[in-house]
Amino acid sequence: MVSRLGILTYVALAVRNLIRNRRRTTITLLTMMFGIATLTLLSALNDGWLSQMKTNFILSFTGHLQIHAKGFEASQNLRDNIADPDAISRYMDTYPEIIGWTQRIRTSGLASVSGSSTGVQIMATDPEQETWVTSMDQNVKTGVWLRPGMNKDLLLGKTVAQNLGAKLSDRVILMTQRPSGEMISEVYYLRGIIETGAPQIDRTLALISLDGAQQWLQMQQAVTDIVIRADHHDQTDTLYRLFVQQLSEQVYEIMPWQELDPMVRQWLEFSDAYGLIILFVVILLVLTEILNTMLISLHERQKELGVMIAIGTQPHRIFLMLLFEAVLLIFVGAVLGYLIALLVVMLLADGGIDLTDYANAFEFFYMDPVIHPQLTRDSALKILLATLVAALLAGIYPAWKATRLSVSQALRIQ
Amino acid sequence: MPEDNRSPIIHIRDLHKCYWVGSMPYPALNGIDLELQNGEFVVLAGRSGSGKSTLLNIVGGLESADRGEARVLGEDILKMGNSQRSGFRLANIGFVFQAYNLIRVLSARENVAYVCQLQGKSKQESLEIANHWLHEVEIGHLGYRRPDQLSGGQQQRVAVARALATEPKIILADEPTANLDSTTGRHLIELMQRLNQSLGTTFLISSHDPDVKQAASRLIKLSDGFIVNSWDEETKPPVSLAVTCPIRNRSFGERLRHFFKPRRRTDQQTKQRTSRHS
Repeated sequence: MVSRLGILTYVALAVRNLIRNRRRTTITLLTMMFGIATLTLLSALNDGWLSQMKTNFILSFTGHLQIHAKGFEASQNLRDNIADPDAISRYMDTYPEIIGWTQRIRTSGLASVSGSSTGVQIMATDPEQETWVTSMDQNVKTGVWLRPGMNKDLLLGKTVAQNLGAKLSDRVILMTQRPSGEMISEVYYLRGIIETGAPQIDRTLALISLDGAQQWLQMQQAVTDIVIRADHHDQTDTLYRLFVQQLSEQVYEIMPWQELDPMVRQWLEFSDAYGLIILFVVILLVLTEILNTMLISLHERQKELGVMIAIGTQPHRIFLMLLFEAVLLIFVGAVLGYLIALLVVMLLADGGIDLTDYANAFEFFYMDPVIHPQLTRDSALKILLATLVAALLAGIYPAWKATRLSVSQALRIQ
Repeated sequence: MPEDNRSPIIHIRDLHKCYWVGSMPYPALNGIDLELQNGEFVVLAGRSGSGKSTLLNIVGGLESADRGEARVLGEDILKMGNSQRSGFRLANIGFVFQAYNLIRVLSARENVAYVCQLQGKSKQESLEIANHWLHEVEIGHLGYRRPDQLSGGQQQRVAVARALATEPKIILADEPTANLDSTTGRHLIELMQRLNQSLGTTFLISSHDPDVKQAASRLIKLSDGFIVNSWDEETKPPVSLAVTCPIRNRSFGERLRHFFKPRRRTDQQTKQRTSRHS
């Protein structure tokens, strides 16, 4: 005997059961909505500040991808340079994922101002190209950004300037080695002070123009870094793969931003893992609540289910009906909760959540005191998947329990 | 064993059933022997706790027995699995319960059509059958109402229509008039009698309602799990707990389930408590 009671009949029965038990349904829906809304908001906040952190890190200094001569990152030696950067630069217009690139020279040296000295990271860059890659020009809090053609301009990190007691227009002597090993020094004039918010940069940065530095260091067209900015973090891997295919790994090293600062990468991974733990705990709480509601519902409906089995409903159909009910309830609650969270995220996306009062806590690790929640596709999928799994878990056990119901006992319940 | 015209439609031999409440045994059936022929209108009479409902439940495959044989339409219902019993009930047995037990989210018409759809009939055909049977039980005009919009008598008529809609060979009715006033109860009995005569459906009804007993083509009296037609209360043999309720050791799982089980008293326990104290 093949039952004609199709899936739609059980969906209809499940819907009617839910409508009929308004109070129970409302409580469960509210629980679901609150749970999913919290989950989504937490996720959006987590994604928001992680994304801000990545952006701040990438835009403050490193870019998304850097190309060096093989071994430069480890040696930091000017002899490991890219002698013909134009051979690489021709790729830059080919890939639409690249929205900016610049060439740099990086080396360590000494900065002195009227008797006081400090170790610095001398960075030479093209003043115009740099503005397409990083936000360093916007981080000039005092003075002006490097001016094209003004090869004696110097910008210092805020802490460097403080340590040297340097003021705008002061003469600053930079000392370093040429690739040949010859010690050299040159006088520069302090035109601006940069404050990136990243202590390790503010403590060491001495920025000069690329043209002047190439002459000073006698490096002709050679550079140490080609720094690339992608349209979005997600495109870093794509670009990395493209350059790995194009450039010989015997000659070049191609480093995505995660490799340029392992500490930041670890911090981001930790934050990601911590976010996942919080999501897991919230899901667990939601699941427990739903399971509890479903079990109470099952207890209340033992007699009705007993009757259905007594008049010939196969236990597996009871299982399906209850599972539909749970999934439907959780799905509707999840959608509503999700919509509420999306609305809140949209409302907060522009203004963000202002935590300026706690600004000291945000000074490190490129964090902004205003968090802009954003929901990524990955997180949305994670939440969707977690909700589905929770729905099934919360539905399967009570439904399975219903199939093991003692019909005669269920019928005796008053 | 296939059913033939000469064999009884229900054949019960030496049926024993014991309930356990914690570690306390409650013998419900003490070696029942019973045969019902096709088309009979049999009433099981007896006080609360006499074993009427238990016997009906076992015949209907809702409950298992501890010992004995129960053949319904030639099939040994005690040896069937849960799914098999569901299918067997759907094909051959209609139920009418004391508390009506309609599905509360379905209308009267849908309640009746539901069992037809379970049998494999299309929705349209099932609804037509439902309309027919609701007319037969004289509430055709109430088909669109939900159970909570019907009186007790009307709900019980829907339950009878639902029991008949699958054209079962046997209808088991457990105290069908207990929740009805006497006039509605009498109407229901007349209806069941009429259907018994016109359709030839076998009725096995448990009741202590005098009107129902009077309508019976055969009355079977039960007392403390015995059929007492041939005895009076004094000559009835004593109940042997050792025979009916052999000592059993509960598994750890059972103990655990018992510990966490919600303490909700069932009709049966209430009845047993009442009968023990009376």
